[in-house]
Amino acid sequence: MGLLSIIRKIKKKEKEMRILMVGLDNSGKTTIVLKINGEDTSVISPTLGFNIKTIKYQKYSLNIWDVGGQKTIRSYWRNYFEQTDGLVWVVDSSDVRRLDDCRLELENLLKEERLAGASLLVFANKQDIQGALKPEDIVKVLNLDSMDKTRHWQIAGCSAYTGEGLLEGFDWLVQDIASRIYVLD
Amino acid sequence: MEGEDGSESQQSRHPAGTLDPATQKRHAAMIDRLANLHQSRLQQSAARSASSAASPAFESVAAFLTRFDESGRAVEAEIKRCRDLSVDPASAPSLKPELEKVAASIADLDRLVAENSYFLPTYEVRSSLKAISVLKEALDAANSELLPRKKFSFRNKTSKKDPICLVKEIEEEKGPSSDKRVLAAVRDSPGFRNKEGSILIKHFRVSEEEEGDFTLSGLNCCEIYLKGRLRALFIHRLTNCRVYAGPVLGSILIEEVNDCLLMLASHQIRIHHATATDFYLQVRSRPIIEDCSAVRFAPYRLFYEGIDTELRDCGLGEETRNWANVDDFKWLRAVQSPNWSLIPDEELLGTVNVSDVKEQCEDK
Repeated sequence: MGLLSIIRKIKKKEKEMRILMVGLDNSGKTTIVLKINGEDTSVISPTLGFNIKTIKYQKYSLNIWDVGGQKTIRSYWRNYFEQTDGLVWVVDSSDVRRLDDCRLELENLLKEERLAGASLLVFANKQDIQGALKPEDIVKVLNLDSMDKTRHWQIAGCSAYTGEGLLEGFDWLVQDIASRIYVLD
Repeated sequence: MEGEDGSESQQSRHPAGTLDPATQKRHAAMIDRLANLHQSRLQQSAARSASSAASPAFESVAAFLTRFDESGRAVEAEIKRCRDLSVDPASAPSLKPELEKVAASIADLDRLVAENSYFLPTYEVRSSLKAISVLKEALDAANSELLPRKKFSFRNKTSKKDPICLVKEIEEEKGPSSDKRVLAAVRDSPGFRNKEGSILIKHFRVSEEEEGDFTLSGLNCCEIYLKGRLRALFIHRLTNCRVYAGPVLGSILIEEVNDCLLMLASHQIRIHHATATDFYLQVRSRPIIEDCSAVRFAPYRLFYEGIDTELRDCGLGEETRNWANVDDFKWLRAVQSPNWSLIPDEELLGTVNVSDVKEQCEDK
């Protein structure tokens, strides 16, 4: 507990938040991060490893860890769990066939003790594609309502391609984390 | 405060001094004034203490501790009440929400400590957190004793692995009205599925279709022509097929293809579990393969009327030579992966002209 309070104090000084972006491959994690940072999203290769971005968001500095989602490297996600304040789970809402994989991976992730206190934002991405499932449907298929009641979570429909919905999602995440860590502003 | 002290000492000096009536009068007036001042000060301080009593949480350790203790005792009482409730089988259904309520109030306690931690002494923070963890343990114990159903949920989860099962379960669990939509959406996703030995042709003309995705799944010995542009393409379980597709604006996801030829253009291409398959690609980023073997790559060579404009519209007008920059997730070394190679020149296909291919068979 002593260490925890020291970390809290340091974080408070720097107003820093650590955000972990995960999800199946092809869900749009890197595109979301680049779009929200105002970078070009027209040429993005599938992530081989991970990217880190520090973004000034409102008065906070977000440390975003964007970790590749290919099956081979999913087992390395655990290396990024430590001290995660916010978890962003990205779903390709048009990839109906793999939604079950998606649910299983998310379930496994949420069992992780080191992520127990992290706020969870689920992005139902690719809403711009005709026929993509709506956020309400994603809630049902991923069985989000049956999650542990102590978890703070939120679903947000978005399109990393157009940028729609991204800010609303991150607004919620940042507010939720701030209300836990930096109450006094 | 100093001013008041000063005037009081003045006041004590005066009676012993002059007895001049004018001075005496002035003196009396001053005492009056001072009395008024004193009175108003008293009122102010009374008001101040009242207001600080109204918001005890304001940076007062004692107030925090009282509040924390009260809430902690309330939670303890709640847990005990839940245990008492459990004796009566009639109240069993209300037990779960009750316990969830307790969990919520423990979370509130957690937050209370976090909110106040900036002014609390370390010892108080530590002991409060310890008290919370004791409460959590008590709740966990109560949860596992009173709601032993948890054991069953494990079995549920393992049986859910089949996607068809999942859909069925959703159907059963929730009202039929809302699920129809999920199911309808699942089925409506356009595509060619489960065919054998056919020629499948689709021309995406309508602008609405251009904004959608398309799926090729479970095809065996088929020839597939997709003309026009689309947003996303999913390819799953193809054997001995040939696929010629127009530009895809977003990404193409390929899984389980065997003995195929795929001619594709896209922003991103991911290939999983492919064997003995040739890919003719135009791709804006580096294609990736995972769990593949004997896959070969070459440049895109498709032609039909209007394809140049479509490629340009999708940002695929320029040759990037990325079709040769393949990343193998199963081969993270500097030397060339044994899983893929380039198609040698003598085996390369010439330009495939599909201008004459028309949508005749309307089997969707």
